[in-house]
Amino acid sequence: MRGFDPKWRNVPDFINGITKDIWEDRKIGSLRSLYADGLIVRSPASVVVDNSNVIAATMATLAEFPDRELLGEDVIWCDDPKGKTATSDAYVSSHRLMCKATHSHAGLYGAPTGRRVAYRILADCAIRDGAVYDEWLVRDQAAIVQQLGFDVIDWTRDLIAREGGAGACVRPMTPLNNVAGPYDRAGNNNEWGQHYAATISAIMAADMDVTPRHYDRACALHYPCAQDVSGWAAADTFWMSLRAAYPTAQFNIDHTIGRDDALMPPRAAVRWSLHGTHSGWGRFGTPTGADVYIMGICHAEFGPFGAGEPTIRREYALIDETAISKQILLHTGQHT
Amino acid sequence: MKGFSNQFKDLPDYIVKITKEIWEDRGLATLHHYYEKDIPMRFPSGLVRGNAGVIDGTLATLAEFPDRALLADDVIWSGNETDGFLSSHRIVSSGTHTGHGAFGAPTGKQFRVYTIADCAAKNDVIDDEWLIRDVGGVARQLGWEPSEFARYQIKTEGGPDTCQRPFHPSHDVQGPYTGRGNDNEWGAKLATLLQRMMDKDFTVVRSEYDRAVRTEHWGARGAWGCEFVETDWMRLRSSFPQAAFRIEHQIGRNDAGMPNRAAVRWSLTGKHSAHGYFGAPTGAEVHIMGITHAEWGERGLRREYTLIDEVAIWKQIHLHTGNVT
Repeated sequence: MRGFDPKWRNVPDFINGITKDIWEDRKIGSLRSLYADGLIVRSPASVVVDNSNVIAATMATLAEFPDRELLGEDVIWCDDPKGKTATSDAYVSSHRLMCKATHSHAGLYGAPTGRRVAYRILADCAIRDGAVYDEWLVRDQAAIVQQLGFDVIDWTRDLIAREGGAGACVRPMTPLNNVAGPYDRAGNNNEWGQHYAATISAIMAADMDVTPRHYDRACALHYPCAQDVSGWAAADTFWMSLRAAYPTAQFNIDHTIGRDDALMPPRAAVRWSLHGTHSGWGRFGTPTGADVYIMGICHAEFGPFGAGEPTIRREYALIDETAISKQILLHTGQHT
Repeated sequence: MKGFSNQFKDLPDYIVKITKEIWEDRGLATLHHYYEKDIPMRFPSGLVRGNAGVIDGTLATLAEFPDRALLADDVIWSGNETDGFLSSHRIVSSGTHTGHGAFGAPTGKQFRVYTIADCAAKNDVIDDEWLIRDVGGVARQLGWEPSEFARYQIKTEGGPDTCQRPFHPSHDVQGPYTGRGNDNEWGAKLATLLQRMMDKDFTVVRSEYDRAVRTEHWGARGAWGCEFVETDWMRLRSSFPQAAFRIEHQIGRNDAGMPNRAAVRWSLTGKHSAHGYFGAPTGAEVHIMGITHAEWGERGLRREYTLIDEVAIWKQIHLHTGNVT
């Protein structure tokens, strides 16, 4: 890993290591060097430009959830030869983590509830010269809200008010406010990434019959709102209800990584987007006609299990339902 | 697969397919072929002999939960065609309580639990078995505390004198399978890890587990991270601090395209002599059948699945104290 501190053995070690350093070991100031100047962090809730804002947001979260732990479940990564600099190799990584924390102080989520939360994050980071220089992140915000005892839509409505109302509130990420960053590649060409991207694309094209062919019958599925389910019917339900709400929206595969590692099953990380009108009945209730942008990140693990081709045995899919609700509420005007 | 029907590609394929054929495809009668006539089946709830009992038990369960689905999560296996295979099959079992049965009148509630079945297979036939269902997990999801459900079991099985006796090695029988697994390093690693926890060396959790470990334990309870692992094993051991711990069977595997993994069947036999998972000590003599599955990654043990049957343990405790109503 030319260009990185030699203490990091590999990309997963760097990603897991700096995550622990920053959050749990409180080296928040190290973000000044671990995050490149001008870094853009895109999440469904907002597009944050500039490192000082990232440091501020980090401290705000830790003030509200001081015991927050970030458990790194997996890092699916690849080389990025086009991103190389004169001083460094470049890589792109998709990091899956479970966060556990106690809501012990007041903050973004309101007065402290004392509740424990456990939720997943998927974060895609482009790295070189010992730093993250471009980022896309999806947090299971609805899981946090629900575990704190709130209804997702009511909480979002309240958030809009607390941020100063429809005119002043933080804008969710859309193509209008997105800022192109220095990383403009699309991952690697490993067969598992291609296979998973093709599966999601087929689902989004309403070829729902791919589920029993591409997923293991016992697939373990981890969906937004911290929903842990299994089997073909549950996969069908999640994807169907998502697509049904935005039947005419433009679907795009934005980034794909596949990997074969010795100690791990073959696996894939895919980032995608769905942009269009909330015109159908599905996961988001009565169609409102709102123009909605959804960024999703998904991980899959494949298994050579039973007869036939390897199939998806584990899937982790995240979207941020509060950011989607915010777009819908701002469109309908039902935020007050 | 010599001796097996040629429709099966390998042992996992055989196990997954016959499970589906028997349960979901309603082939109960195929048990006359797939299960040896005198098969000993050891459940924590008791020893059952012969495939006729298995068929009737299957029928009763399907009558109570007709939509019961058995999803094959993994098959960790050892052995060969000549000596026989041993398959440790981890299943996600789910269903809706729409019929009368062991859990009482239908509640319409749904359950989802893990089950692990250790089956010995030879010549297309299962001839020896150890099976742990998460009865405590089902009970909880249908609205029972496991301890109360054990009392209900005693009552509905005719009272303390006539109810079915939970499994204890003193009334075990020798079946055709005498193997102890394989000598793969990952099986040995898991056996050592369990042994160290039972020797009360709980430092093993932080040193051997990945800090992001996902654990699925009895009672349909799961968590991320090391605290749950430490606490849950401590509470179990703490209830039976002097009980004898024994590794009954261990399998390790390195399969292409899979993480390294292991399946260990173990037991704990002795007195309920201290506070812990099972409340105040009663002095009851208890036998616990346990099965643990594990998967490793680059940073240690990443997934642990352990099943015991809490209801069978409570039953032994209640039968000892006589506090059965």
